[in-house]
Amino acid sequence: MAGRAALMSTPFTAMLQTLSRQRGVTAALVVSESDGIVIDSNMHIGQSGDKVAALAASLYKKARLSARAAGMGAVSFMQLEAPNGRLCAVGSGELVLVVVAATAVNVGLVRVDLLRAAVELAEIAKRGGAR
Amino acid sequence: MSEDVRRMSDELARDPSSRVFVPLGEALRQQGQLDVALKVTLRGLERHPHLADAHDLLARLSVDRGDMERAFDEWDMVLRLSPGHLGALKGMGFVCFHRARFAEAERYLAAAAALDARDDQVASALLHVRAAQTHATSPQAAIAESIANDSRYLFLEVLPDEAQTALLLDPAGLVLAGAYIDAEGRDVAQDVGAELSGVTEAARRATRHLAMGDWTSIVFETEVAVVAMAPSSQDGLLVLATSRATPLGLVRRLLARCAEKAQRWLDGQR
Repeated sequence: MAGRAALMSTPFTAMLQTLSRQRGVTAALVVSESDGIVIDSNMHIGQSGDKVAALAASLYKKARLSARAAGMGAVSFMQLEAPNGRLCAVGSGELVLVVVAATAVNVGLVRVDLLRAAVELAEIAKRGGAR
Repeated sequence: MSEDVRRMSDELARDPSSRVFVPLGEALRQQGQLDVALKVTLRGLERHPHLADAHDLLARLSVDRGDMERAFDEWDMVLRLSPGHLGALKGMGFVCFHRARFAEAERYLAAAAALDARDDQVASALLHVRAAQTHATSPQAAIAESIANDSRYLFLEVLPDEAQTALLLDPAGLVLAGAYIDAEGRDVAQDVGAELSGVTEAARRATRHLAMGDWTSIVFETEVAVVAMAPSSQDGLLVLATSRATPLGLVRRLLARCAEKAQRWLDGQR
């Protein structure tokens, strides 16, 4: 991992590190849902998060709005699958937490960690710590 | 295990390419062991994909399992492989009758009767079909026919549970087929589709950027539902919604069935 110790920590640092420690997780990011901008991230060396962050946030937003149109209530967890990996996401208010992972990742564990992190995200947002 | 089943199982174990899997599958089916019969039949078909009798057996197993869609497809295959196959003609007659497609049902059953005039089952079925046709102006028959031709009900046979629904969207999010009825009885399919426009493209770009290959599915959970999406041909999007209680494995299976149905329908539109 790129050396984070020397960098400033944010309210999201601990949760991103916890997620990134899961075997198979290659990146964890906190993204603004409305504009797709990365607020914080923890990525393996060589990964670029900006494009993926924007696309993941856009997908999550579409899921959320379609669920609202259908009267299904709030979206809790989203997963996109492809032959060589997956994207998982949870949202809370304006923020979306995105994880990029290999196919072999334990999705159940990632999901549990993400849902826990979503609660934390809500607390952070309440405290005004997103910006 | 009956003696016949044991003997045939032993023969199949000795020679996995043996065609004994067909009578074995039928014997297991007669004994009500549908899952085992299905497994035996599918394995046998891997080695003998053009064996008409095997497809006929698979069709009958599909009827037993309530999968009329699969039954239709298998009997259709049988008739391509063996145009005068009596079992398939009878089966197609049965499926078409079930779908209120009486004219087609009569055609198939008449062809079966021409092959075997002494078959009482076929004679009786023909009488029923002809009687149904003379009453085809009844409201129930008219409704059945109109449902069969209305794309909003495309996924009805594949999703028998009323808590399940599916939509087929074009790249712009416009609804091609399916319906979504909300808790107040309104069809909100167009609204849902509008919010999902661009999903296929965004998902494709995300997975290509990450060198993951082309995306295969997106699943998201809401308070009351699980929604699964998959790409469909011509950059469309297939969306399936089921109740929150539906196991994810079943969601995937239903999505695959809907995808097959959607593809056949799209092919028929060209």
